[in-house]
Amino acid sequence: MSESDPRLTQGKRLLGVVPGQPPGGERKVPQEQDLVMVSPHLLVRHAVVALAVLLLVLIVSILFDAPLREVANPFETPNPEKAPWYFAALQELLAHFHPMVAGVLVPAAIIGGLVALPYVDRSAAVGLGLRKVAVVAFTMFLLVWIVLTLIGFAFRGPNWSWVWPWDEWHGEL
Amino acid sequence: MRLRQTTIGRSIFRSPDRRTERDQAAGHWSNFWLHIYPVKVRRRELHFGYSWYLGVASTVLFGSLVVSGVYLMFFYVPSPGSAYGDIQTLQTQVAFGQFIRNVHRWSAHLMVIAVAAHMARVFYRGAYKAPREFNWVIGVMLLVLTLLLSFTGYLLPWDQLAYWAVTVGTSMANFVPVIGDEVRDVLLGGDQVGAATLLRFYVLHVALLPLVLVGMLMVHLWRWRKDAMLDQGGEGGER
Repeated sequence: MSESDPRLTQGKRLLGVVPGQPPGGERKVPQEQDLVMVSPHLLVRHAVVALAVLLLVLIVSILFDAPLREVANPFETPNPEKAPWYFAALQELLAHFHPMVAGVLVPAAIIGGLVALPYVDRSAAVGLGLRKVAVVAFTMFLLVWIVLTLIGFAFRGPNWSWVWPWDEWHGEL
Repeated sequence: MRLRQTTIGRSIFRSPDRRTERDQAAGHWSNFWLHIYPVKVRRRELHFGYSWYLGVASTVLFGSLVVSGVYLMFFYVPSPGSAYGDIQTLQTQVAFGQFIRNVHRWSAHLMVIAVAAHMARVFYRGAYKAPREFNWVIGVMLLVLTLLLSFTGYLLPWDQLAYWAVTVGTSMANFVPVIGDEVRDVLLGGDQVGAATLLRFYVLHVALLPLVLVGMLMVHLWRWRKDAMLDQGGEGGER
């Protein structure tokens, strides 16, 4: 049997001595918990995501100009006076509660609660159905926050009165 | 692949030819740019549904903000006398000025959304659970830093929108118990938004906060790389 005999090569492949697939093909079905090489499998996906994100930014930046109003004037308060959209929920709370609650206690409680979350929720379960309390509580918080943000951003007009965004628009980005 | 096998290529990369997976891993290990990545991850991490790639999206948006932000810095002086005029000049006289400002503005809004969504996805995935608790905490800090960066940047154009949004935002500082006035004075450099505030927000926005964010991000990614081998079960499973 010479060195180049195909049977010999196949045998070596089985033993993993030479590269290439053994004659029997893959030895097992790929599992989700299997380890795969980051390069190239994860890298190409990250590259695609990066290009997609940059494309989105490019398109939005071509279509819409960043706003620029008149020069700042400390003696002329606009009405309504709006915080940036990501603080709109806090500003909405400010209309209903004492500033001490809306401006200090609530943000402190949210940040504190988020930091404490993994130390309070000690169960090992990751499935949604196995941790209903945490999932329901977090989802409620998220929904309330999104609704408050939307209200503060788009549904509030002069003197923080209720407006319908399709009637008059006061949202600022 | 070819380049790596030439004499010059070998001298640059000093990695073995890609032949077996072990050689590939060695090549990955010896690559400077790939040092922020683990060599291997669980197959499930490749699927879009696992993370929606929101962490990568946040990082890419941050990169876009750094690049566009540096460009803007060439044309901007943080003083009430010139800030607004600088933005007007930027938009009308500077090559790609308006476009770069748009990129910076929209990337910033998108980054707030991406980071918040990343946190929500990690929550529903249960990926904050032991032993990953601390990386979740770092992530919360990164969210707070993202909001602070966005908020400090909001003031810089020095238009009515910027001025009053920041006035509303910082008015809450007054209600911090006991040290409310001091907090406001440190934040604003006075009792209302003015020249000192603009300078403070500028320094925070272009130097201090980005440095802190990059530092925290490095810890965040390092921790992610170290934990890549963990096998926290799929949807519905136990760890």
